[in-house]
Amino acid sequence: MPQLIIDRREIEVPAGTKVIEAAARLGIIIPRFCYHPALGSVGACRVCAVKFLEGPVKGVEMSCMTAAQDGMVVSTTHPEAMEFRRYVIEWLMLHHPHDCPVCDEGGHCLLQDETVSGGHGLRRYLGLKRTYRDQYLGAFVQHEMNRCIHCWRCRRFYQDFAGYRDYGVMQIGNRTYFGRFADGPLESPFAGNLIDLCPTGVLTDKPARFKGRRWDLERAPSLCLHCSLGCNITGSARYREMIRVEGRLNEAVNGYFICDRGRFGFAYANHPERARTPRLDGQEVTWEEACRTAAHRLTRISREYGPGAIAVWGSTRSSLATLGVLQRLCREQGWLGPQFFNSPSRERKVKAAISRLDAGVAVSLADLEKADFLLVAGADPVNEAPMLALGLRQAWRRGATVVVLDPRPVHLPLEFEHLPVPPGGIDLCLDLLVRAAVSHSATEGLLPEAAAAFFNNLSCEYPGDQPLQDRLVSLGMKLKESKNPVIVCGLDIVRESTVVLAADHSRLLRAAKDRAGLFYLLPGPNAFGAGLLSLAGEPSSPSYADMLAAAEQGRIKALVMMETDPFRTFAGQPQFLAALDRLEFLLVLDYLPTPLTDRVQFFLPTTTVFEEEPSGWVNQEGRCQQAAPIYVGGRPISQEGAGSHPPRVFLAGIPGGEPQPGGQTLAALGVALKGTGAPLYLEELDTWLAELNPVFAPLLESKVTHPGVRLLPEARGDYAFSHPNKATLRDVPDDHLELLLVDWTFGTEELSGYAPPTQEVEQPPRLTMQSRDALRLGLGPGDRVSLALGGESITLDLEIVENMASGMMVLPRHRQLAGQKFPEGPILVPLQNIHKV
Amino acid sequence: MNNQPELVLLKNRRPDRPATIEEYRAGGGYAALAATLGKRSPQEVCQLVLDSGLRGRGGAGFPAGRKWAGVKEDAEFPRYLIPNTDEMEPGTFKDRVLVNADPHLVIEGIILSAYAVSAGKGIFFIRPSYEMDAELIERELEVARDAGFLGGNILGSGFSFDLEVHRSAGRYICGEASAQVNAIMGKRAHPNKEVHMAHQGLWGKPTIVNNVETLSCVPGILRQGPEWFKGLARTESGAGTKLYCVSGRVCKPDVFEMPIGTRLSEILDLAGGMCPGAEFKAVLPGGASTEFMPKKFYDVEMDFEPLKAVGHRLGTGAIIVFDKNTCLVGATLNLIEYFARESCGFCTPCREGLPYIRDLLWRIEIGEGKEEYIPLLREMARHMDRSYCAFAPGAAAPVLGLLNYFEEEIREHLSQKKCPYKGLGIEFRDSLIPMEKTESTAPENS
Amino acid sequence: MLPQEIRENIQRLIEAAERPREQVINVFYILQKHYGYFSDEAVREAAALLKMTPLEVEEMATFYDFLYREPVGKFVIQVCDGVVCWMFHENSIFDYLCQKLQVCAGQTTADGLFTVLPTACIGFCDRAPAMLINGVFYGPLTPAKVDEIIAQLRSEHCDLVICK
Ligand SMILES: Cc1cc2nc3c(=O)[nH]c(=O)nc-3n(C[C@H](O)[C@H](O)[C@H](O)COP(=O)(O)O)c2cc1C
Ligand code: SF4
Ligand code: FES
Repeated sequence: MPQLIIDRREIEVPAGTKVIEAAARLGIIIPRFCYHPALGSVGACRVCAVKFLEGPVKGVEMSCMTAAQDGMVVSTTHPEAMEFRRYVIEWLMLHHPHDCPVCDEGGHCLLQDETVSGGHGLRRYLGLKRTYRDQYLGAFVQHEMNRCIHCWRCRRFYQDFAGYRDYGVMQIGNRTYFGRFADGPLESPFAGNLIDLCPTGVLTDKPARFKGRRWDLERAPSLCLHCSLGCNITGSARYREMIRVEGRLNEAVNGYFICDRGRFGFAYANHPERARTPRLDGQEVTWEEACRTAAHRLTRISREYGPGAIAVWGSTRSSLATLGVLQRLCREQGWLGPQFFNSPSRERKVKAAISRLDAGVAVSLADLEKADFLLVAGADPVNEAPMLALGLRQAWRRGATVVVLDPRPVHLPLEFEHLPVPPGGIDLCLDLLVRAAVSHSATEGLLPEAAAAFFNNLSCEYPGDQPLQDRLVSLGMKLKESKNPVIVCGLDIVRESTVVLAADHSRLLRAAKDRAGLFYLLPGPNAFGAGLLSLAGEPSSPSYADMLAAAEQGRIKALVMMETDPFRTFAGQPQFLAALDRLEFLLVLDYLPTPLTDRVQFFLPTTTVFEEEPSGWVNQEGRCQQAAPIYVGGRPISQEGAGSHPPRVFLAGIPGGEPQPGGQTLAALGVALKGTGAPLYLEELDTWLAELNPVFAPLLESKVTHPGVRLLPEARGDYAFSHPNKATLRDVPDDHLELLLVDWTFGTEELSGYAPPTQEVEQPPRLTMQSRDALRLGLGPGDRVSLALGGESITLDLEIVENMASGMMVLPRHRQLAGQKFPEGPILVPLQNIHKV
Repeated sequence: MNNQPELVLLKNRRPDRPATIEEYRAGGGYAALAATLGKRSPQEVCQLVLDSGLRGRGGAGFPAGRKWAGVKEDAEFPRYLIPNTDEMEPGTFKDRVLVNADPHLVIEGIILSAYAVSAGKGIFFIRPSYEMDAELIERELEVARDAGFLGGNILGSGFSFDLEVHRSAGRYICGEASAQVNAIMGKRAHPNKEVHMAHQGLWGKPTIVNNVETLSCVPGILRQGPEWFKGLARTESGAGTKLYCVSGRVCKPDVFEMPIGTRLSEILDLAGGMCPGAEFKAVLPGGASTEFMPKKFYDVEMDFEPLKAVGHRLGTGAIIVFDKNTCLVGATLNLIEYFARESCGFCTPCREGLPYIRDLLWRIEIGEGKEEYIPLLREMARHMDRSYCAFAPGAAAPVLGLLNYFEEEIREHLSQKKCPYKGLGIEFRDSLIPMEKTESTAPENS
Repeated sequence: MLPQEIRENIQRLIEAAERPREQVINVFYILQKHYGYFSDEAVREAAALLKMTPLEVEEMATFYDFLYREPVGKFVIQVCDGVVCWMFHENSIFDYLCQKLQVCAGQTTADGLFTVLPTACIGFCDRAPAMLINGVFYGPLTPAKVDEIIAQLRSEHCDLVICK
């Protein structure tokens, strides 16, 4: 641990720490352009020069390139260093267009800061300015090369950190140019990070362009809700409109970065069709009236048909407060539900996953980056939870082996082993790999009893497929050598048994190696929270489908839909709307303009995560984090009066400002139902949750502060392994293809589906199959096919690939396919239902 | 004056063609190879070279033996040796002459050096304007291979080594060792100071980069011993002979092999003295990235230490001679223009600072100079020391030389508001590259 | 379209290499020779053959001096503007050449025969002023000699040497 003195203050830092970081620990921020903690030091800009007065290094040197060493005495304000830094800034400004007044970076521009703080105010250089031609880089990132200071951050992030290869550096000397080979959209789904990284205004946020200065924006720390990882963001709003989202550092979760779905998917909050007023029987009503009427009608139905005639649906995109109060209301009132998951198998998988995570095996995204072997079972990271792909890449850059067991044509920005096995074959591969890796421990009797019993039960028959067998054997050996393996398990396309096995195998590896981790992907930003509530809610709530059937049969008379869109599940089912019609009372609460919000008689608007109240969200590793409100909601000024300013409507309140946080609305409903004596639903929520499920207890002990509180039980010594069935590779009959409904980075996720920027980049849906299956069906590249599914048929473009399992078809749950009926998986499609058109 | 000094590197030089392998062998060529491979340990060879005092001839003058010792005995395999024949330093052409005079001396030197660091593969990095020489080396490598000096188990010694030619596509920075390694790996040839070449050079493996002249000294050292090699020098601190290239305003510009430490005056005499009618003004002693030396250094000993003692550098030993009628502001402008154009663009001082310096010099040269440009030039040239690699400090050297010894000449430009040499001889022609008109460099690819 | 023979040549070269990337410049040279310059099509061909992206090829191709991303004439005249040649440009060979061919630095003659480029010191300072034409050295130059060389090149066809 070297000890050194910086600006007369002593500090001890871990070996290898660069002086620029050591200074940062003292709160001394040495100017920098090229240095970035996540990208490391390269020494390109030379603005971090400091003077080394004593010690092994002497003179003016770059603080980002010099490792802290014992005995160093550093001055960051030495005149020699300052003079040099002033020159660096002068050089960087020689060709700068001095267009700060029209530059979107203005106000949060590192170059601006350093230019001002360095005292550079006069351009002495008399030569002409170099000019560059800008490129079109797609819908997200705006290019203005003349502002470039050649810090190389963009290329280092794009190619080295993120692993994409269509953006880089060209030319040489003072003609060096950063861009693409030719105009065109950036291919990386992480390209938006260039906006945060670029220290000047070369790469700026295109959708947010010219919408406001940094100092004009209302900004607050928030969370990304576009998958279950819970990446940290900073949201900015202006004039009641969400303007932009930036990555926010959380070292345990996303680091500095986020994906483009998270960055550009927020615009659902500004959706012009968002219903913003309480509505009863087609009439706008006040909140008081709405609450009173709702309570009244629910009470009547309860009295008339019993509380079981009232069913409640929730979802995984609601805050913890909303989920909690919903649960409590159901308990108190004896209503049916809440059901948070739109399919029973999803619910079972989430519960299985959550109940198997504990503080011993659960790893964060940051931990995952330190793993040396990553076994990904049934997950397609770039499409399902993009930042996971970036995490995998960082592990790979540190030397980790990455193995993906997944039938889909998985692409990752790194070198990895893809074993395209069908969902039913994942278990077998897991068994074989882990078995090979721990068998020496087993034979030497080093495993605890339960683990040994589990081990003895594992499948050990290799599939007949020789190449697959060879790969399994060699990867098994690698897994054996690893010291810190992590199993990543997606929940979407896998069989329920895989979720359980993933946990068992991580325990088994842990027993053999001391260290092993488990990382699940869950459906939705608060699936973990919903799962915790569901686990505590025994007996289980009936499924959406069962409740719907009960409504059709007249057993359920009232339905409360809290921030859920059943159209995504039941669209196209004629019974669905018929069942809704039979209800006596249907209450819909939402912040999205779903197909239901316009249709129902009784609607209550709720707020998004960005408005009004802080909200809690539990990510897939059980980390509860808080999103602060960014702005007071209302209809954006740009929509009010067609953008003219000031708005023409004069009201006491904010136009369109009626939406209330879901939890608050439910609490008000509860009070209306119970009258005086109703509990303090929100104030007592944490206590109530902790009583319901002790895992929530940490919420009582501490406030949810950065970097979040983990809601996980202690590691269990007596973990109960499952008794797996003997797994086999193939479980699809020969005359069928299994249809996998999958997620895409863009086009399938619910919230970003309402955001124009992400809509702009989504690809039209297509059906993907392996070339052997295409051959079998007489289909060729470029064909359009029709697929008959439960009496309906859809027509799509066909994509034929090599790198996926045969016997499968892959179809995105695309928002453009809404209206199609997707039955519960696994869906087996007879070959004769697939035709070329 | 000494008798005819001993030739070590150019003794087989012929006016019209390269020496053949037979001619080389007739003079004792490849004897060192036979006597060394398998007979002496690599460590012994390293030690001999260290003892010989051989210092790198590529510009920096780093002791070759010490560089080799950086590859530790337990270092990884494979290891690489890169004979650096980039020779893009303006004024330097010794490597071309050497390769052309006696290709097998070069090849033997490379094999022996590879043996010293147990390198299995060599990559002969050569600049594109030496295509003829690249072809020559390729031909002679075939000859050496046929003679059993290259390939597997050379001369039954158990040591295997092969050499291939890597053609550069031309950039000065490719001569810098770490940039050269990047170039060979098919990356942009930016220097890389973060890895130690002897540990993680080419393909992440231990790598030694040496100038070909340095390597060509090795057979002699092994044959005749380190003491002999040291004894060749005319200075106490020096060792060996040196290829001095003399160009510019002399009668017989050429490469002269002389004991290292030979006085500048003597070398210039060998080059036939000044051209008729020309009067000595200054030299760049070691290529374009050294400082101008005025007449007072006329008798300096051309070796690393004596030059260092007077604040100069031997560089590549390429002596460029300027006469009284040549404008040194113009000459410096020409050099800076070259450096600015060749800068790899990675770091700020070099990428932006050199064009700035260029602009000031250009204004002075065309008579638009101002007094305040002089301190500005001096400060910026000094700050080039703080750039990423040695390119920019080298580029600044002639500017500093101009400022240190010829400030008067700059002032004449200022006071006369024109180049005082206009019409006398060489003036700067601005038809070459109107640099500030550099424009849009975005690719317009479809 | 790249002729099959050239494609196979390149493929052989790449396969023979320990790592394809070390052949990048050689492959570029072959393609440049075929296309006359390193055209967009050459970039795409190189990318496909070397399993690089066009951007990665462009990153390399635009770094170097001897790769021409824009069309050049049949003869590329690289006039040394190193400091020694500069000193010997009494009669300004460079200007003379430009005037003779009616082009500026960096331009190609209307007949597509000659491109004049200033270039870094070419390592023939002992024979200054000097130039390379398609990689072949000429020097020391005088206006008369330049006339002679140009006349000869106009009359005969010589093969590209550099891009082998
Ligand atoms: C900008 C730059 C250009 C260089 N060019 C050459 C060169 O053309 N040839 C060469 O041998 N060394 C060149 N060098 C020096 C090399 O980096 C390296 O020090 C040398 O090849 C080592 O060989 P040596 O120790 O035998 O001199 C250059 C250095 C720099 C900084
Ligand atoms: S000094 Fe900087 S820009 Fe110049 S060549 Fe070295 S690294 Fe490149
Ligand atoms: S931050 Fe250190 S050189 Fe750029």
